[in-house]
Amino acid sequence: MQPSLREDYLEAIQQFSKKNTHLPRYEELAATLGKSEALVRSDMEDLVSSGDVSLLPGGVIALTGQGRQCGESVIKKHETLQCFLSEILGMDKSVASDEACTLEHAVSDETIDRLGMLMVKQEGLGHHRWGRQEKQLSSLQCTTDDENCECPSISDCEEGENVIIHCIHGRACAKRLLDLGMVPGQRVSIKRKLSNGALVVQVKGCDVALSPEIASAIGVEHPS
Amino acid sequence: MKIALLGNPGSGKSLIFNQLTGLGIEVNRYPGSSVCLECGNVCYKKEKIEIVDLPGIYSLDGNSEEELLVRKFLEQGGAEVIVAVLDATKLERNLYLFTQVTEFSPRVIAVVNMIDEAERQGLIIDVDKLSTLLGVPVLLTAASEGRDIDRILPLALGSGRVSTLQVPYDHHIEAALKSLEKTLGAPRSRSLLALQGTGDDRILLDAAGAVAHEIELRHRMSVRQIIATNRHNLSRKIAASSVRQGDRKKTYDLDSLLTRVYPGVPILIAILFFLLLSVFVIGSWMQELIVQTFTTYIILPFTALELPPLVERIGFSVLIALEAGLGIAFPFIFTFYIGLSLLEDTGYMTRAAFLADRAMHRLGLHGEAIIPMVIGFGCTVPAVMSLRILKTRREQTIAAFLISMVPCSARTVVIAGIVAAFVGIFWAFSIYVIVFILIILTAVMLSRITPGEQFGMIVEMSALRRPQVRLVLAKSWLRIKEFLFIAMPLLIITSIGLGLLQYFGVTDAFEQLVAPITVTLLGLPEYASTALLFGIFRKELAFETLAVLAGTADLGSVMTAAQLYTFAIVSILFVPCISTIAVLYRQLGARVAILISVYSVFLGLTVGAIINMLVK
Repeated sequence: MQPSLREDYLEAIQQFSKKNTHLPRYEELAATLGKSEALVRSDMEDLVSSGDVSLLPGGVIALTGQGRQCGESVIKKHETLQCFLSEILGMDKSVASDEACTLEHAVSDETIDRLGMLMVKQEGLGHHRWGRQEKQLSSLQCTTDDENCECPSISDCEEGENVIIHCIHGRACAKRLLDLGMVPGQRVSIKRKLSNGALVVQVKGCDVALSPEIASAIGVEHPS
Repeated sequence: MKIALLGNPGSGKSLIFNQLTGLGIEVNRYPGSSVCLECGNVCYKKEKIEIVDLPGIYSLDGNSEEELLVRKFLEQGGAEVIVAVLDATKLERNLYLFTQVTEFSPRVIAVVNMIDEAERQGLIIDVDKLSTLLGVPVLLTAASEGRDIDRILPLALGSGRVSTLQVPYDHHIEAALKSLEKTLGAPRSRSLLALQGTGDDRILLDAAGAVAHEIELRHRMSVRQIIATNRHNLSRKIAASSVRQGDRKKTYDLDSLLTRVYPGVPILIAILFFLLLSVFVIGSWMQELIVQTFTTYIILPFTALELPPLVERIGFSVLIALEAGLGIAFPFIFTFYIGLSLLEDTGYMTRAAFLADRAMHRLGLHGEAIIPMVIGFGCTVPAVMSLRILKTRREQTIAAFLISMVPCSARTVVIAGIVAAFVGIFWAFSIYVIVFILIILTAVMLSRITPGEQFGMIVEMSALRRPQVRLVLAKSWLRIKEFLFIAMPLLIITSIGLGLLQYFGVTDAFEQLVAPITVTLLGLPEYASTALLFGIFRKELAFETLAVLAGTADLGSVMTAAQLYTFAIVSILFVPCISTIAVLYRQLGARVAILISVYSVFLGLTVGAIINMLVK
């Protein structure tokens, strides 16, 4: 089997299992790739023999450790390239995606890493412009500045509640919060809440006053 | 020998410092920064030992002036032994800074302070265990009772040693530290900072930046967060195995009153009102006393000497400046500082900041800005100096504009001496109302046009405790000393300058020159412009000069009520005093200082002209 074909399969399976809650079946994988089911079936046997895929009963396809790693790496390459083509070079989004599909098989890991770094630097230059581009890049960087984080903010909590810090958005204010012990995983209790959303929280035995805009940047989860 | 005290804000460092050094404290400005370093000397076993009180900080990684200063101090090995002061009631959080200090490998001892408070909370600290874990000698003290403070020096000099404590960082971070050390020869502490993007070595920063990025990709967490979490985890482990929670005595939580909107806000207003009122009452009584004594015993005998006119003029100017300085500095500013230090030492100011956050927000500021604003009621100079606590330049600029408009105690004297005395007490209050409205309008306007980003408030609430008279006085004394050093020379120089101008008849020419403004625009007598000019160098001198020029202390007989009112409001708004301009220049640069001066001239003249038009 062609290496690029193998990578395409692994990428597709990994994508599918990320997007959906279940692993793909033959017909589902065939539908996503726009290929015939018979062809997918025979190709899967090749992938089983190369140790990338294991077949579960009922025609369910699962990736092995090696397969997942390869799939993940291809996805990352695809995203980085697509981001580079569309956001930095300004190409049309769908064209960029198609192009990325071709390039992703030939490009080396190092090139991707360097491209990623280049984009981070660009982001550093345009620091104050909180644009779409930056959001996309920061989700690509996988730092905690994940704006799509769905956990509730600490300013939604009530007085007297005990919660665990999950994430902190934004960089500017994060430093002092870290110094005061507000790190992900830390338990805090809310001692006072004013009607405007200003909080006094207790963390590590100290009371810390937070203004509303800082509080809304702190994502929390309830202890289970 | 030199030892330095280092610790979190509110860990009782200053109290220890005060008890170690007594009153022989000098305040030194660290070169190139506006942060104060307090130093004191003591004699121990016939050896002179210098003790430095480093500013209170939470971390050594940041870029605030205080953090930079302490970091530089540690990097340069500024002291032979570091005394790390830890708050026993918040040991875990305080150890976070300790773990960072050890990375600079100085000789250290740990002083666990406020052990009395910890005992009250039922916390039992195992000294031997803590000492083993930290790898340095540990001493339990209670500075407020003076307990075991005398053991600090012997222990520091005798057995301060480099800690063996090392934070077990995430293995990726450790790998990065190793590779940076191997490739660039950077020490651990510098590499850790570089990974967090701090430092000035470009090569190291670039190399560390690339590695940091890879680590961030792997962890879905910023390097700062990873490092902070590692340190906090170690601190938690140490605290957990050396601190035991025993029986806790129930105490009444005053915060249930102080941090709620009701009754917190009424309490806040009452406290501030009471502070200003008592400063005003005590201040005016003391001022009269000082000015009278000074005039009778020094100025009158001096004028009786009948020296040659030029010498007399200069000598007189110097004496007037001294009188002015003493007459305002001690009665008003010193009393105000005592009140302020009292509020700070009880821990109330952080509650005030929390409650004021919302109101300050409307002005484009944050809760913390209430502290400089309150100080501004006493004197604008220290208020501008305290602007450092605001985190962004935008906030500092807005607050600087507002502070220079807040009626300081000198301006209160003008209001009381001119308006309350000759026009009526109600009209005196109306001036306050006008000034506050102008402050709010200015703030709303500035918060729209000032560039820069908004930054929220993150303030640790200091524990409520009983203030110590000695410490309050020592603190107020240090502050007044700082004021005297900045303001006094300026007062004397400007006074001599103005005296000479008057001697050579330049002020008359000036009066003629600005007569169209004074007479036509503001409807004031010609000589009022000289009084306003004098007001630039000390606000309430405007009032005194006016009396001298008018030839009578009964201003009501020579000027109409409307004229007096206009004069008062113009002199209050018009140009901050020379000391303020100087300190604005030092703190925020020439541009802001000039802008504020120009704005206030414009504001003063406009408001004066409007009032003049209304009464006509």
